Amino acid sequence: MSRLINIKIDGKNIQANEGANLLQVAHDSGIKIPSLCYHKKLTPTGACRLCVTKIKGTNGLVMSCTVSVKEGMEIIAFDEEIEETRKHILDYLLAEHNDHYDGTYHDEFREWLIHYGLDKHENRKYPNISKTLNYKIDDSSPVLTYDASKCIKCFRCIKGCDEVQGKNVLSFSERGITSYIIAGFDQWNESECDGCGECIQLCPTGALVEKPHRDEIQLENLEKKVVTTCPYCGVGCQLELTVQDGKIVRSDGVEGVLPNDGRLCVKGRFGYDYVHSKERLTTPLIKRDGKFVEASWDEALDLIATKFTEIKEKYGHDALAGYSSAKCTNEDNYLFQKFIRVVFGTNNIDYCTRLCHASTVTAMLKSIGDGAGSNSIEDFATTDCLFVTGNNIIETHPVTATYVKNGKYAGKKIIVCDPKWTPLVKYADIWLQPRLGTDVALLNGMIHAIIKEDLIDPDFIEKRVDRGMEAYEELKQLVEKYTPEKTEEITSVPKEKIIEAARMYARAKTAMIATGMGLSQQVTGTNNVFSLINMMMITGQIGKERAGIDPPRGQNNVQGATDVGCSPIIYPGYIPITNEKNRKRIAKLWSVDFEALSGKPGLTTVEIMNAAYDEKIKGMYIMGENPMLTDPDLNHTEKALNKLDFLVIQDIFHTETTPFADVILPAASFAEKEGTFVNSDRRVIRVRKAVESPGEARDDWKIIVDIAEKMGYSLGDYNTESEIFDEIAQAAPIMAGISYDRIEHQGIQWPCPDKNHSGTSTLFLEKFNTPNGKGILNPVEYIPQSEQTSKEFPFILNSGRILYHYHTSTMSRRNKSLTDFANESYVLMNPGDVIKFDLTDGDKVKLTSKQGELVTALQASDQVAEGELFMPWHYSEAPVNRLTRGDLDPFSKIAAFKLTACRVEKFVS
Amino acid sequence: MERSEVLKQFKPDHENMLNILHALQNNNSQNYLSEEDLKIAASYLNTTYSHIYGVATYYTMFSLKPRGKYIIRVCNSPVCNMENSTKVIEEIKKNLSIEVGETTDDMRFTLELSECLGKCEEAPGMMINEDVVGNLDNVDFKSIFDNYN
Amino acid sequence: MIQEKRITLKNLGKINPESIDDYINEGGYKAFEKAVGLHHIEIIDEMVKSSLRGRGGAGFSAGLKEKFTSEACLRCEQKYLICNADEGEPGTFKDRIIMENDPHLMLEGMLIAAYAIGASKAYVYIRGEYYKSIDRINKAISAAKEKGIIGKNVFGSAFSVDVEIKLGAGSYLCGEELTLLESLEGKRGYPRIKPPFPAEKGLNGKPTLINNVETLATIPAIIYNGPEWYTSLGTEDSPGTKIFTISGDINNPGYFEVEMGVTLRQLIYELGGGIKDGKKFYAAILGGAAGTFVNESVLDTPMGFDTLKEKGAVLGSGAIMVMSEGRSLFDITNSILEFFKHESCGKCVPCRIGMPQLLHIMENLKNNKIGRVEALDLLLYESEFMAKSSLCPLGQSPILPIKSLKQYFENEF
Repeated sequence: MSRLINIKIDGKNIQANEGANLLQVAHDSGIKIPSLCYHKKLTPTGACRLCVTKIKGTNGLVMSCTVSVKEGMEIIAFDEEIEETRKHILDYLLAEHNDHYDGTYHDEFREWLIHYGLDKHENRKYPNISKTLNYKIDDSSPVLTYDASKCIKCFRCIKGCDEVQGKNVLSFSERGITSYIIAGFDQWNESECDGCGECIQLCPTGALVEKPHRDEIQLENLEKKVVTTCPYCGVGCQLELTVQDGKIVRSDGVEGVLPNDGRLCVKGRFGYDYVHSKERLTTPLIKRDGKFVEASWDEALDLIATKFTEIKEKYGHDALAGYSSAKCTNEDNYLFQKFIRVVFGTNNIDYCTRLCHASTVTAMLKSIGDGAGSNSIEDFATTDCLFVTGNNIIETHPVTATYVKNGKYAGKKIIVCDPKWTPLVKYADIWLQPRLGTDVALLNGMIHAIIKEDLIDPDFIEKRVDRGMEAYEELKQLVEKYTPEKTEEITSVPKEKIIEAARMYARAKTAMIATGMGLSQQVTGTNNVFSLINMMMITGQIGKERAGIDPPRGQNNVQGATDVGCSPIIYPGYIPITNEKNRKRIAKLWSVDFEALSGKPGLTTVEIMNAAYDEKIKGMYIMGENPMLTDPDLNHTEKALNKLDFLVIQDIFHTETTPFADVILPAASFAEKEGTFVNSDRRVIRVRKAVESPGEARDDWKIIVDIAEKMGYSLGDYNTESEIFDEIAQAAPIMAGISYDRIEHQGIQWPCPDKNHSGTSTLFLEKFNTPNGKGILNPVEYIPQSEQTSKEFPFILNSGRILYHYHTSTMSRRNKSLTDFANESYVLMNPGDVIKFDLTDGDKVKLTSKQGELVTALQASDQVAEGELFMPWHYSEAPVNRLTRGDLDPFSKIAAFKLTACRVEKFVS
Repeated sequence: MERSEVLKQFKPDHENMLNILHALQNNNSQNYLSEEDLKIAASYLNTTYSHIYGVATYYTMFSLKPRGKYIIRVCNSPVCNMENSTKVIEEIKKNLSIEVGETTDDMRFTLELSECLGKCEEAPGMMINEDVVGNLDNVDFKSIFDNYN
Repeated sequence: MIQEKRITLKNLGKINPESIDDYINEGGYKAFEKAVGLHHIEIIDEMVKSSLRGRGGAGFSAGLKEKFTSEACLRCEQKYLICNADEGEPGTFKDRIIMENDPHLMLEGMLIAAYAIGASKAYVYIRGEYYKSIDRINKAISAAKEKGIIGKNVFGSAFSVDVEIKLGAGSYLCGEELTLLESLEGKRGYPRIKPPFPAEKGLNGKPTLINNVETLATIPAIIYNGPEWYTSLGTEDSPGTKIFTISGDINNPGYFEVEMGVTLRQLIYELGGGIKDGKKFYAAILGGAAGTFVNESVLDTPMGFDTLKEKGAVLGSGAIMVMSEGRSLFDITNSILEFFKHESCGKCVPCRIGMPQLLHIMENLKNNKIGRVEALDLLLYESEFMAKSSLCPLGQSPILPIKSLKQYFENEF
């Protein structure tokens, strides 16, 4: 820890940490030393020279951004010479600058010009030579424009891209006065730039500006700025939305607040247009004679109440089910599960989590007692070794990935384990490329190597593992046969790499695991994660800071929806429904009879659909989910949905599923509601209303309360979302200490048991959440996949996400910025296979599995191994889940999205 | 030589960046760094295009335009300038019918200016590829250039 | 008549530069062998005692630089020695002469310095245009490796070292040591902010010693003959010898290694054969483009770091550009400023925009838009601003020629 020291700036006594940056210390103390190239999240550059000061005992002028403060330092920040120098510098900058200002961006440079009177031409001394320099404009990017004539060459964009985002896509071209910023080979749209816009946010002039809404934005007419949480992946980035004339016109990252500290990805910055899409649902729709017709809210709600009541009375409580939504707030989801449990009287409530991390959560709950990530997002930068498996983190969790890359730059180790190349491989020390579906063998092989090399942590095993060394011996015995040779044979990963990775992980002072869909979406999903946890336990890589296991959450509130009880087996706060004591407590909280709350475990997502197919489920209430694209084996889902007596869908758009609905209800988007999300590191963060909902669209929770009322139930008398959250805090002990007033500025990580608790950044420091507080080893054997290639189906198809789209792309494909980057389905095939099967890059191909077929474009790519294929699953015109199977992991009921045997043929129309 | 062969001589290490760019440029029959050269260097050094491009455009010995077989670098720094390098440049321009920065139609010569070549005792001086030629105040350029085919 | 005193050029013309045996027969690598037999602190002590001042231009104590790098950390993973062979100061070619004629001498100096600071890795960062020097050094490194002089456990000691050549590619600024580090790391040549100094955080963030070729080539003689021998040469503030490279209007332009303290007159008239065409001496620029103009009043000043400083002049790299009567100070100043503008990296505002501003003033003078006195004052004003606010020595350079013009030629510019 650095010690506090005393310095003086212009006679003012200031306390600061020894070694802190002088300019930052001055800024923090309210002394506004002018600066342009400095930004607190970047290393000092010393380019603009505006922050000149004098330091007693030092000759000449000193740039304060390059000084580390020392005890007793006396600084002059303002005197005549210093101010003259600053004015001189600004006047110089004007000489190469085009100072036309269009009022659409925050111009720090211009503010200083005005401050020093240089906005007036008569005060300028130097002739403007910008026109002679032939500065260019690069307008080729889909999302931004670079105008070199407005660039002051401060390096903030370059450093932001490199030091913050870890992309290093920008540089200067040429040198001296003619130099300018470039991306790629001086052509933005052909560069590696992925459009995150960090550079725009950091640009202190108008050199780098965003394209969307350029001609609308007028900062003078600005209505308000609203801080809220990003609606895409589970990182939970804090956004500042600029609202003008009732419309969002800009999205910036919020600096200085976790988890993202100002960082965003392309979706967070440019993905908000869907909110104002003309295709938004604006009025309730009732299906009459196979056609949807507009209806009033009363009409629609009456119909829903009647139908649901009928089904309940005719077929019983368990003939009803609901899908809640990982995209809705905690408040929405909490009331949704309350509705299902109180009004429907069943536990048939689940949602898409079953399709992503159910196996992970199942394994984690069983071995360590908690399904949430053990660490904080910023720990990804500081852990000594990160093991990323089945997780294309750069594309799926782009902002978490920035921390990973920051760690890499600071010399931390990265191991990537993925059958498919992912962009993180570029940053990795080791890339393990196992055959699809051989993860248990690989991990057992690594455990074997760890044991052989005596890299276990016996102390940890003794103290923290259930049955200590005895349990370890069982694991040791089981992995005995997974010799490096044998493991190589099964996985095709060279044995040297297996050993090297095992050493790197086990020897690291601290190591974290980031696991994703690649591991979870298999019939052996739970076993895969058990193996991971086994490896983590015997090496003691958990139970300390910057160590543990983290499954980054795919959707904005997938964490929160489960936290607040949207699960067939648990109540808010992960308390099993079978826990009668809790059920009694909850019954009291909800003011209902204990007997009215079913103690029977409900059905999971895929089970619900199967029950619908079997005509056991008759009515469904779906809030913000799109099973006709997300479910495995869509042909089956289609039949199941058709068999339902009554289906209500509440959404912001028509989806692939809405045609099957009887009533469609228009809901509010994230930008139109108040509430909270919980991100991947268990942080409860605020969502705030920025704009009004279109037409008659309404907040989800209000719709739920109204349906309940029409059905004769009162869910509660809530005036605000804050009141709903207070009830959540009572229901879920992990959130007991959290309330809106505490998370106004920055979210709090649960568990937070009381009002004085500051939240928990690392789980399991003292004990695990298992009954006896110890971690449990679950040795598992490798079982070859049931799905195998054959002559008829010679390929194994893998699926996943890409950076520019999200989930079923209902939201993401309604943003021009995102579709400009990517809007077409494709399948990746190894170039060797392309030749072998007599195909050509770019061919239209038909993919066929036992379940179905689709048509897409072929891309030859060595990102996939021979015999394997990869397809992004966002595109409804080529829905991958037409091909996938309904086979489930027996423990978690997750579907095997990642492995489908299929064949590829040239498509002839 | 294949580009991959050129690269093999160096460890894929950023300390070898300039050595690698020199080697690729020397290996290019048109004496420049083509986009293909830059791409393979970026991939070999596991870096981005802009990083390579930024480096290549910073250093004056690298060219991103095709150049002649022989690069004439006339020293134009203060000493040679004092010794009339301006006249030397004019004569070469006339002799080869090109401007500074241009290449002769037969792709034999490219004329460039250079900072001090350290041949000040024989100013004005120039280099033709690796050869240093000094005392250019009264020479027959045609006969010099005839030696370079 | 003054005589040359050759230390760094002692083998010039006597040996085949491509023959390591020739070098060894002349006593080569004896100093290195002696060095590895000593404790590294003893070597640093000798270097400090020798008072050798860096020959790249700045004149900082070479011994102290070694000392700081050596003491940077107790258990360093890695330290580096870098030979700065990026000679680019206009009018300077002393390093080229050493490298072309006696590459092993420079290598031996590098090896001793590497041993003194505990660097297992040494680089020669050399100008890309110095083809002949590159070739000679490459051959010298190979030959020394073959003889086991570079490699593992040299001369049976615990010291192991590797030496590699890294090419520059056309940037004057990369001769500045912090910029050189950036370049060596494969980046654009932008100067770093300091602190930290290279002794603390240099190449790849590791302690690094960077010495000029001539400095390194002096080390073997100091180690072999002892610091007392060295301080007996030259003057008190600037001991030893220095290579001067003289160009311009003299009869015998070239390089001369002499003891410090000789006068400019002796260099020009005795070694350089006097002014060409029997003309009168008019002016000289000492130290290159980043150097100073002097007139005949300085002809009898002893050449040394401090003696010249007293006259408002610099010794710099040892370049001397001589001008006879009739020469235009405007032309050469313009040429110097053009050079600076061309080499400005563009990172900091004062240098990037100041360089074109200076040339703009020159143009106005040329077009008679302003008068000479006014022009010189404006040049002085801008270059003073640049000097106090620029990031690196390049932006701080124009003040040198301009201020000296004002001092010595106010009425003739």
